[in-house]
Amino acid sequence: MDLGWQVRDAGGRLVGEPTGRVDETTWEAFSAHLIAAVRQAIAAGAPLIIDLSGLDYMSSRGLRALTIARREAGEATPITLAAPNDRMREIFAISRYDKLFKIVDDVDSDA
Amino acid sequence: MLVRFWGTRGSLPVAQRAGAIQAKIAHALVAAGGRQFADEAEADAFARANLDFATYGSYGGASSCVEIEGADGAFLVCDMGSGVREFGIDSFRRIAGGHPPVYHFFLSHLHWDHIMGFPFFGPAFNPNATIVVHSGHTDAETALRRQQEEISFPVPFDWLRAKFEFIVHPPGEAFEVGGVTVTLVAQHHSHDSYGFRFEKSGRAAIYSTDSEHKVDNMDAEAAFEAFFANADLVICDTMYSLGDTVSLKQDWGHSSNVVAVDLCHAARAKRLALFHHEPTYTDADIQRMHAETVRYEELVRADRPALEVICAYDGLEVAV
Repeated sequence: MDLGWQVRDAGGRLVGEPTGRVDETTWEAFSAHLIAAVRQAIAAGAPLIIDLSGLDYMSSRGLRALTIARREAGEATPITLAAPNDRMREIFAISRYDKLFKIVDDVDSDA
Repeated sequence: MLVRFWGTRGSLPVAQRAGAIQAKIAHALVAAGGRQFADEAEADAFARANLDFATYGSYGGASSCVEIEGADGAFLVCDMGSGVREFGIDSFRRIAGGHPPVYHFFLSHLHWDHIMGFPFFGPAFNPNATIVVHSGHTDAETALRRQQEEISFPVPFDWLRAKFEFIVHPPGEAFEVGGVTVTLVAQHHSHDSYGFRFEKSGRAAIYSTDSEHKVDNMDAEAAFEAFFANADLVICDTMYSLGDTVSLKQDWGHSSNVVAVDLCHAARAKRLALFHHEPTYTDADIQRMHAETVRYEELVRADRPALEVICAYDGLEVAV
């Protein structure tokens, strides 16, 4: 399954919208999109929201790409994960990434 | 081949305290619900059928030592953690039954928890024994000799009576021991570590512990996917959660259960053994980690063949 990616400006917040799944075949594209979005958010002085509602799942490659993105973002540009499906919620819990990232129920929850 | 786990704990051997045993007994009595048993055999049968592993059994507490049985006329053993003491005792029994006193050790690295059992390895005092130490490190002999210096141990290395040989192997160059083909891969760990691939009769078992897969170097994982390729069993360092390995425990030299699953999926490996358990984990903690790993494998399997996830414990035997 291919990875899709769009980014939009939502009233002072930048929203990244991955679709598909992130695994060993798609993580590099996912990471590149994330880093580009982080740099865009930094330039705009905006927080970055990752809308996960269109994502089937991500393996550890995707999770670690999130870590790389956050290191790029630094303290001044918060990254929030929004609207994960039930499968992604389980993956966040098992990996303990639910303790590392702010996860909200929908994109507007973080408005 | 038959893989036999003599020590599965990471970093430091641990022992159950009385409170842990008492909790298991109390849990079992509640589960029995007032049943009467004619004898201990009947009670044992009930316990096996009705209690979870953390209650009825234990993952054990000896540090890393894994035997690969199946070589012609030789014992093959990965690492010399505290589990090697029990292995040494058991090897006396098998030698009495006719097994040659020839030991080939394969050292992942030289940190204390992986060599600490050697001063208590009885066969080292057998003048008829041959002990060959295979390593990717050039200083394996120094490490073994140093821990038997007087400041650390009363018996110096030179008092040992077995015939010793130390062989350094470069990664990627296969060699043969007793009909088993062995290959090393370099791993990321303090002072380096090495994984081993054992192959015989079309079957492959991997021993890959104390191997950190760095978050900022995921490209390097292709080498491990190739090293694990189509393996029948992959024994993997799964000491921490992924979250820990990218935060508090970054650069501690260890990996996670979810990265191990992903590497095995990409490698089309058939079975993963969780290994090098965190010493602060109780049996219930390890059992929970195992259940979570089984679930994670289901969640990310997609169209790949199923990967069986087992959890290593001291005493486990796995046919390969």
